[in-house]
Amino acid sequence: MSINVLIVDDSGVMRAMILKSLRMSGLPLGETHQAANGQEGLDVLNQHWVDLVIVDINMPVMNGEEMIDRMRESPEIKDIPIVVISTEGSKTRLEKLQQKGAAFIHKPFSPETIRDTIRDIMNLGGDDEGAD
Amino acid sequence: MRHIVLVGNMKVGKKGDVIVTYALGTSLGLMAYDPVSQVGGLLHAMLPLSRSDPQKAETNPCIFVDTGVPKLFKEICDMGGQKSRLVVRAAGCSRPLGENEMFKIGERNYSVLKKILWKNSILLESEDIGGTANRTVHFDLSTGEVAITS
Repeated sequence: MSINVLIVDDSGVMRAMILKSLRMSGLPLGETHQAANGQEGLDVLNQHWVDLVIVDINMPVMNGEEMIDRMRESPEIKDIPIVVISTEGSKTRLEKLQQKGAAFIHKPFSPETIRDTIRDIMNLGGDDEGAD
Repeated sequence: MRHIVLVGNMKVGKKGDVIVTYALGTSLGLMAYDPVSQVGGLLHAMLPLSRSDPQKAETNPCIFVDTGVPKLFKEICDMGGQKSRLVVRAAGCSRPLGENEMFKIGERNYSVLKKILWKNSILLESEDIGGTANRTVHFDLSTGEVAITS
């Protein structure tokens, strides 16, 4: 099974870093799509089959939280796993995102955190024996 | 066969070998293993950057993280390993003196490691990093298993 991923972030550099992390991760990566804000992200979701959405919060036009709300209202895409990668520090906002079923990774992130979070929410398992 | 790696040194081996290193404090212990060809190696690097003593780095690249890590990967590949298959684990980089540690050698060793791994598109499979403990690593090249005690 390969995973088609949509990366939504207004920073092209950040999208490139997330994409590189995904490629390094050894996860079965399929198609990758990119969008610069929530509205563009929803447009991609309407046109392509996506298995995982990685989204920032603070973006112009439509922020990540609104995009997640729109996704959850739409029957075709409401069950897609979501990982939020953001500098967001507000505890209330993070709790709201968790209630909406999104996993959260704080920026700056390590590529290992992205791999482990995706393994976790997509139930992909992993080889974690060894160092303890 | 059992090999012991001293500070500022490394050892590569194959199935049947066990590599051990003691007294990992601020030093970095890096274990890399190719599960297909069953070869691997362990580096015990003491300092982050070779530019602090280029002559010493030339004589013994394993003292420094920035010269030791590429050497470890190269020697494993020379034994039949493939970089894309390497399972890499890290240990050490601690702060034995706690907050009183002035030079933060452990943290700097870890930062340099992460930069090298990012440039080489390699992720750590696991890590046992930081804290104040000294660690001992047993690396079994028959299975790739790493046991860390402190």
